[in-house]
Amino acid sequence: MRYDSITEAIGNTPLVRIDPAVHGLRNIDLYAKLEMLNPFGSVKDRPAWHMARPHLEAATSGDGTVVELSSGNTAKALALLAGMHGVKFKSVTNRMRVPEIKELLLLLGAEIEELPGRSECLDPTDTDDPLTHFHRALADPGSTYLHTDQYFNPRNVEAHAEGTGPEIVKDLDGRAPDWFIACVGTAGSSTGVARVLREHDPRVRVLGLVAHKSDFIPGIRTIDEVHQVGLFDPATYDTIESVTSDEAIDGMITLIRRCGLLSGPTGGAAYQGAVRQLRYADEELDGTGQRRTAVFIVCDRAESYLSYVRQRRPELLGRTGRGRSAAAVTDAEARAEARVIEVDDARRWFAEGDPRPLVVDLRSPHAYAALHIEGSLNIVDEVFEELLRGGLPFSKRTPVLLACPVGEKSLRYAAALSRMGHPDVRSLAGGIVAWRDAGAPLVRE
Amino acid sequence: MDAPLYLRPRVEPPLDALLTDRHFLHSLVDALGSPLNVLLPEAVAKNAASFRTVYDRHHLTGRVYFAHKANRSSALLRRLAAEDPAAVGVDVASVEELRHALGCGFTGDRIMATGAKDAAFLWLAARVGATVNLDSPGELERLSGLVRAHGLGRVDVLVRLSGFEYASGREGAGTRLLSRRSRFGTPLRDTEALLSALERNAETVEFVGAAYHLDTTGLEEKARALEQCVLFMDECRARGLSPRSLDIGGGFGVGYVAEAEEWERWTTALTEAVLGVRPPLTWRGHGYGLRNEGGTVRGAAALYAAHRPTAGPGYLDELLSLPAPVLGRPPATLLLEHLHDLHIEPGRSLVDQCGLSLARVLDVRPADPDSGQYLVHLAMNAGDMSLEEHGVLVDPVLLPRGGTTAAGDGKPVGVHLMGNLCLEGDLITRRLVYLPRLPVAGDLLAFVNTAGYAMDFHAHRAQRQPVARTVAVERRGESWNWCPDEDYWPITPVGEQPDEV
Repeated sequence: MRYDSITEAIGNTPLVRIDPAVHGLRNIDLYAKLEMLNPFGSVKDRPAWHMARPHLEAATSGDGTVVELSSGNTAKALALLAGMHGVKFKSVTNRMRVPEIKELLLLLGAEIEELPGRSECLDPTDTDDPLTHFHRALADPGSTYLHTDQYFNPRNVEAHAEGTGPEIVKDLDGRAPDWFIACVGTAGSSTGVARVLREHDPRVRVLGLVAHKSDFIPGIRTIDEVHQVGLFDPATYDTIESVTSDEAIDGMITLIRRCGLLSGPTGGAAYQGAVRQLRYADEELDGTGQRRTAVFIVCDRAESYLSYVRQRRPELLGRTGRGRSAAAVTDAEARAEARVIEVDDARRWFAEGDPRPLVVDLRSPHAYAALHIEGSLNIVDEVFEELLRGGLPFSKRTPVLLACPVGEKSLRYAAALSRMGHPDVRSLAGGIVAWRDAGAPLVRE
Repeated sequence: MDAPLYLRPRVEPPLDALLTDRHFLHSLVDALGSPLNVLLPEAVAKNAASFRTVYDRHHLTGRVYFAHKANRSSALLRRLAAEDPAAVGVDVASVEELRHALGCGFTGDRIMATGAKDAAFLWLAARVGATVNLDSPGELERLSGLVRAHGLGRVDVLVRLSGFEYASGREGAGTRLLSRRSRFGTPLRDTEALLSALERNAETVEFVGAAYHLDTTGLEEKARALEQCVLFMDECRARGLSPRSLDIGGGFGVGYVAEAEEWERWTTALTEAVLGVRPPLTWRGHGYGLRNEGGTVRGAAALYAAHRPTAGPGYLDELLSLPAPVLGRPPATLLLEHLHDLHIEPGRSLVDQCGLSLARVLDVRPADPDSGQYLVHLAMNAGDMSLEEHGVLVDPVLLPRGGTTAAGDGKPVGVHLMGNLCLEGDLITRRLVYLPRLPVAGDLLAFVNTAGYAMDFHAHRAQRQPVARTVAVERRGESWNWCPDEDYWPITPVGEQPDEV
């Protein structure tokens, strides 16, 4: 395969059969359409290119900005395509809840605008939503925005009607599958593919999957949110079902660990929703000797969703404890083992101690810079925690006074240092706050 | 009829016990008329303690200021005045509120003056030693002028800031978090004039810190504002000023509806009704701001998110724990490490579960022949109980009058709640409300959790209908005692004469 441009690699993705031993359906062949193997990593590569191409090929001056309401894959594809054509890309969203995707977009050079949260103190006469303002800004005559408008643009659907749908039919030897299962985001892939499949065989059944209303699955809309999508037509779907983030992750894990498909949660939701729905149909087929076919879409890959998984199923990314740690000291142990010193005694210790104690301020550098005990050393708690893993960071001959805001963290660290064999480490009772309240001097340098 | 779309209220102790004593509530309305507001002063103290628990968890000092505008009750204010002076204060937004706070036992040093301020308000605030939350350099100059002209002592001032969105270069590269524009406060980029005015007027005002109030439920926006204020106060320190208080306002929210599922089912049904795929859920098909454009729903629902997984103290805890965008440390750590006090001004959430509004049913009649729906007229109007005005949707609790026989067939029924004004628009709710059975004249409807903004925010005498009286109630053993709101004092059991001292 030799191409002149990466855009030529968009489409023609594989259709892979899922091993029946995995899904357990006896009479239905289940296939995954691996849209994650598009060059930018998702099903959105197709509509992004199809929608943006006319704009980008016309944008010779390079001063425009492609803008889209997208929190993920469409933004990713558009950012890359815009970059290739020397124009900027801006994503406007209030749904960017997956940090890896946000960082990836920044890496790609995208500008991100996050919409404000909901109003707490309601003004019922103001029904203007942030999106109205967005559209008003785009309509401004001086605007150089090229809005791809994925939720309303018919070219989104067309990309799938011309690509994804016909590819499925071709790979099934000219037949449409009996079921087509897709998660509904912009409704582009489900609408475009369903149209083509129904042209081949009007009996094809289409299952649309949405996210459970109180839940969040990246790239899928909830049942209420789909009604805000211009491309969404309820008539496209024979059934609309909801899936939970738990099911999405279950499906994702099955595809990854048992099928070798490195799917993200949307693909997982499609798989899990498909199997849940097809199980009844499969039972009805038992003993009839008939075989049926179903296709679902794997939208994108797993890597971008590690924090999503970590948040919901930390056990899947199990971490083990690391070495010595102040965190291992319980409150009771800290109280029993650490030495504390009151502000007045600490001041005397500085004046008269021989050698003078080393004061370690555990607050952040910014707070330390604002005000601190003169002559103290700033080692922020996170760094101090790391230092302790390596061993005792001070000579045993140097007395140490640890200070934090209220004397709680320093107590824990004082106990940990004592355990490590330091003979004279003390925690400032009440911390810097008590120091300030006692009228003891704090300096700014 | 479809399955009833309930939005049943979240009711916690002791409000739940009060609601079960319907004979007591009926006797109150019999004596004092409908509508009637009932307050539980003990509950406000319990809420203040819940906020203090969050402070303690993060080792923070500072005050919880009750935003007086949320409820004009004397009982609530006096009960809060009895709390630890170092922990609880009151935020007043007019000279009358200031007078009321002083009359309820708050000393000036526990009072924060906010909002638009005329000369009388500024003078009295300065006179009694309240902290003035300044909205602009102009207000600072007027205050300073009064202090000089009348030989007053130095006044503690906070400066209210806004425009955090435009703070330059401090966001992560390439990201901009938008915020709604606010009419309050001085934009962060214009603080130079404010700071020089503070320095110039140092003999009249003592600059004690910064404040913000953002009208958003977005935690990220608030965490950003909080951090920007910490950075601002740090700049002030570098100029030789010594601010130590940060007032982050309120907006911590209240969960009105008990069950998430009921809220979700109702809001989905609203979308479907707007699309025309199910019958309207509202009087004359009102869409609460949603509209149907060619089969697609546009607009945003102007509704208070009435079910919330976290609200009030829980929301504050989340805000204090969220990593801040620039320095990376959670706001609680930032405040603690920079030695700042935290002030908050919860209005609604400090009076969560503190009261209810009662209305007597005047008349019940079928809405139209075939709908199965009814019009229920109440001895109350939309001004008396403005949950709807604030976009808060929650069902009233039906308190049947003892001895009356149930109307209808005792099954759930959809009703439209109408007010007592001679106006087509006087609806208690624009939403079709489902009740477990059809009420009859003489029954009471209890609107729960109305102490925040709802019970008397818009009440007026325009049509000479009675304005709700307010009573404070207190549990005594197995029964409830009550007294008029104005007669409540936290030193005497409710309904008893003060002991001889």
